[in-house]
Amino acid sequence: MATLGFDTATAILTVAVADGREVLAEGTRTPGSDGRPRHSPLLLLEVERCVEGAGGWSRIDRLAVGVGPGSYTGLRIGISTARALAQARGLEITGVSTLSALAMGVFSRETTGGSPGSGGQATRAPLPVLDARRGQTFVQVHDPRAEPRGEPLVLGPEELCELAATVAPKPLAAGDGALRFRAELESVGVEVPEDRDPVHSVQARHVCVLGEMADAAPAETIEPLYLREPDAKRWLKRDERTDTG
Amino acid sequence: MILALETSCDDTCAAVVDGPRILSNVVSSQASFHEQYGGVVPEVASRHHLQLVNAVTDAALSQAGAELSQVDAVAVTQGPGLIGALLVGMSTAKALASAVRKPLIPADHLHGHVAANFLEPDPIDPPFLCLVASGGHTLLAGVSDHSSFETLGQTLDDAAGEAFDKGARLLGLGYPGGPAIQRAAQEGDPAAFGFPVAMSRDPGLDFSFSGLKTALVYRVRELGEERTAASVPDLAASYQRAIVDQLVVKLERALDRGGWGVVALGGGVAANVELRERAGQLCEAREIGLKLVPLELCTDNAAMIAAAAAHTEPIPYPDYLTFDASAQAANLAV
Ligand SMILES: [Zn+2]
Repeated sequence: MATLGFDTATAILTVAVADGREVLAEGTRTPGSDGRPRHSPLLLLEVERCVEGAGGWSRIDRLAVGVGPGSYTGLRIGISTARALAQARGLEITGVSTLSALAMGVFSRETTGGSPGSGGQATRAPLPVLDARRGQTFVQVHDPRAEPRGEPLVLGPEELCELAATVAPKPLAAGDGALRFRAELESVGVEVPEDRDPVHSVQARHVCVLGEMADAAPAETIEPLYLREPDAKRWLKRDERTDTG
Repeated sequence: MILALETSCDDTCAAVVDGPRILSNVVSSQASFHEQYGGVVPEVASRHHLQLVNAVTDAALSQAGAELSQVDAVAVTQGPGLIGALLVGMSTAKALASAVRKPLIPADHLHGHVAANFLEPDPIDPPFLCLVASGGHTLLAGVSDHSSFETLGQTLDDAAGEAFDKGARLLGLGYPGGPAIQRAAQEGDPAAFGFPVAMSRDPGLDFSFSGLKTALVYRVRELGEERTAASVPDLAASYQRAIVDQLVVKLERALDRGGWGVVALGGGVAANVELRERAGQLCEAREIGLKLVPLELCTDNAAMIAAAAAHTEPIPYPDYLTFDASAQAANLAV
């Protein structure tokens, strides 16, 4: 049996079907020419394409979905799709941390010789960093085996660097937030692979791996990791300006 | 038999409808969450839709005694509405429909309000003139057939229900504003304050409510805190009168032009007693019918979306996989 996994927390749509470590199908969609993610129009299309490529729905017994942190709208598209598919098809479902999926990408790069001199032994701690907009990042410390250490956090660049400086062994940062704050991270000795390195993108094959290890949960309990309250106060202020203006 | 989802604003709704018969119509209102903000906060609404959508869908199916595999199609509001909120319903509906390889029917939310009139207990057939007034929209629709409507007039700024909400907030009456103002107005004199009835001299059928809200802002400022507090019933009654006046003036003008034999009222504002009475007097004087749908079909609900979908072309699997929600009007907008 196989696991269908996908993630819509970042601008990149990623879908995979995997059986253990064997990837049966995978697909990636980047944002359109306007720079906007295409999760809503392309997620189900990619899902059907991957499932068909992996031998059909009868092979799928589990669904793993990235629950962020990340783009709120992206997460809601991914999670509502996953929940409805699980509900309608009677599949097991698990929610997977998008940050841990990124960390898993670093781990597999380290252990498969993607980095010179690693020799199959992970020696650096993956530090997944996602761009949280408003000048902030989503980050979570992981150990060299990509196991989370501590909670996912929302941090500005200064706090991010303070945190990164305390991580041992030396972290390797990955994700669009690591790219955005490359200079800051490198100034405190954190390695950030070159911009085009695939380690910066979430890959659904890692979502599948984590999903197979996790316990299944009732579909309606799969929720996004928002990490921030809705910005209702800012929204209301805007409203009041027009009220009195 | 159609399973329909509606998540365009702040109510999470699912229904199962068979022709004019409503087998289930489940609405989970978020009003209490938005009350503290005096209006719908889009991000708050989207979060609640995601929390509720599966349970509401399950409830609609089980109350109808139906399995997902038994429905002929899954319908969903494509727009207009809050895009983040719409996307929760659209993603869910597409996934449900694709899982059972059934067609998807993307419906226009406003067509839904019009189509509420096709449902039991007293379904009517076109032609009729339909006034839809709610927190999200104010629309005069000429309905000549089941599958479409003609927009005769619409609001140029705030919706009528929005005017109630903002007025209620200014008067400290709570949310939603329609019922709150109506309650306060019962003790008040609608002639106590003169508020402008916007657009009454404009020969068209469009509406405008933002000037009215501004007039209330200035009146409250003029009166000061103490006198405002003492005049709340009069202010509420006068303000309500101005909103209803505008709706009725335009309704009357549309009747002058149209030769319609029936007027239908829809949307949450159709619950307003003064509007119902005034529309009733208008129709009686002209010897035409007035159709009032039950309150639960006036406010946002998924049964009306199913009713619109029943007269909309279904999209077969897999053609809808790439479908998207739209904050403006649906693709099939008419
Ligand atoms: Zn509505």
